[in-house]
Amino acid sequence: MLIETDVLIIGAGPAGSSAAKHAALNGADVLMIEKKSEIGAPKRCAEGVSKDGLIELGIEPSSRWVTSEINGVRLVSPNGTDVWLTEDTVKLPEMGYVIERKVFDKHMAMDAARAGADIMIKTLARGLERKDGHVIVKAERMGEEFDIKAKIVIGADGPESRVGRWGGLKTAVKPKDMESGAQFEMVGVEMESDTALEFYFGDVAPGGYAWVFPKGKDIANVGLAVIPTLTEKSAYEHLLDFVKNCPTTKNATAVELNIGGDPVGGILKKIATDNVMVVGDAGGMVNPLTGGGIISGMQGGRIAGQIAAAAVKDNDFSEKRLAEYGKRCKEEIGDSFNKYMKSRDYLESLSNEELDSIAKVFRETEFEKISTSELLRVLVKVSPKALLKLGKLF
Amino acid sequence: MKIVREWCMYCGECAGVCPRCLIEVGEATITFDESSCKDCEICVQACPVRALIKEE
Repeated sequence: MLIETDVLIIGAGPAGSSAAKHAALNGADVLMIEKKSEIGAPKRCAEGVSKDGLIELGIEPSSRWVTSEINGVRLVSPNGTDVWLTEDTVKLPEMGYVIERKVFDKHMAMDAARAGADIMIKTLARGLERKDGHVIVKAERMGEEFDIKAKIVIGADGPESRVGRWGGLKTAVKPKDMESGAQFEMVGVEMESDTALEFYFGDVAPGGYAWVFPKGKDIANVGLAVIPTLTEKSAYEHLLDFVKNCPTTKNATAVELNIGGDPVGGILKKIATDNVMVVGDAGGMVNPLTGGGIISGMQGGRIAGQIAAAAVKDNDFSEKRLAEYGKRCKEEIGDSFNKYMKSRDYLESLSNEELDSIAKVFRETEFEKISTSELLRVLVKVSPKALLKLGKLF
Repeated sequence: MKIVREWCMYCGECAGVCPRCLIEVGEATITFDESSCKDCEICVQACPVRALIKEE
């Protein structure tokens, strides 16, 4: 069997679906394949998105996938000193929602289908070769092996990012840039506020942080991410310790376990080559400090879809034609990532004691708005070490 | 040579860090191209649930 299409998208997460939707809307013949039997499950994500991000993408929040609205943040240092940033005390909130990825991802895929994209589930891509200016992807579905011939392939295959490598892009993630994450969805979580995201810093999660993201009532995603090269314990072992020792979760019960990698090395230098582009986690479109990548992945997907469709119209799938994609992603998404990467390196360098003393100062500081950059701006003011390392950036 | 323990959740993190792109992860399958493996063990270290063990 041979299937022919203009644009083949491998992976039906939010970035893939966004690419599929926009390529289809712009007139390309689109096929998206997904190796799993259910789009969106299992989630590998803490499920936080910003309101501004959804607005920018033109996505109307739906009660089907919004589980809670967030209006504050609680930052907790290793000795339990907490800093509250809420809409009551801080102007210009830049807050968001905790969503249900299982539902959200499926809805994004449905949007792509409604725009005209075909979708094949339970379909695994196994390899790729170029032939006469096209790409042949070897695929397998329910025991049946077949080829897909495409003009452009968009790799949306997440942290695995094999499609890019098959195409000649350097998408392998360095160990120091791959966070290893583990998360329970829990019930009986005793949050101080069910509308605030909680972040825990220090030894609980070397190289990353732990989080409690409320999903309505006493339900929350409780997770953490670590850089494996900085710890002897696995992410899962860190999670067990955290849940046992954290006052918010010590009486909670897990109803789901999620694990996975999060590439926090920033957008890759090269995300397009002849016939092949990468989007979302596969292209490193993740905020290196927060690890968040739903919105940025979908923005990347939108740009990739538009450019792929335009390239199909021009009948030019060369690296030169697709290079516009890398340029636009860097301008529209990756611009801030460099400074967040330096901030991550800085946070990684702080001892528990330093984090505690920063938290103490933060408690007495007035913030103008709730955002990552505002936090870092204040941090630079209160910490000489931060000023030294990040002063020019914030 | 790797052993995949039965609690592997097929998250694919190992595939992402494998410098030689030798690991294929399906919905509920994981396959190593062991002929080209150089035993760097980066995959073993990255696994969030320690499901990969090096077999001597």
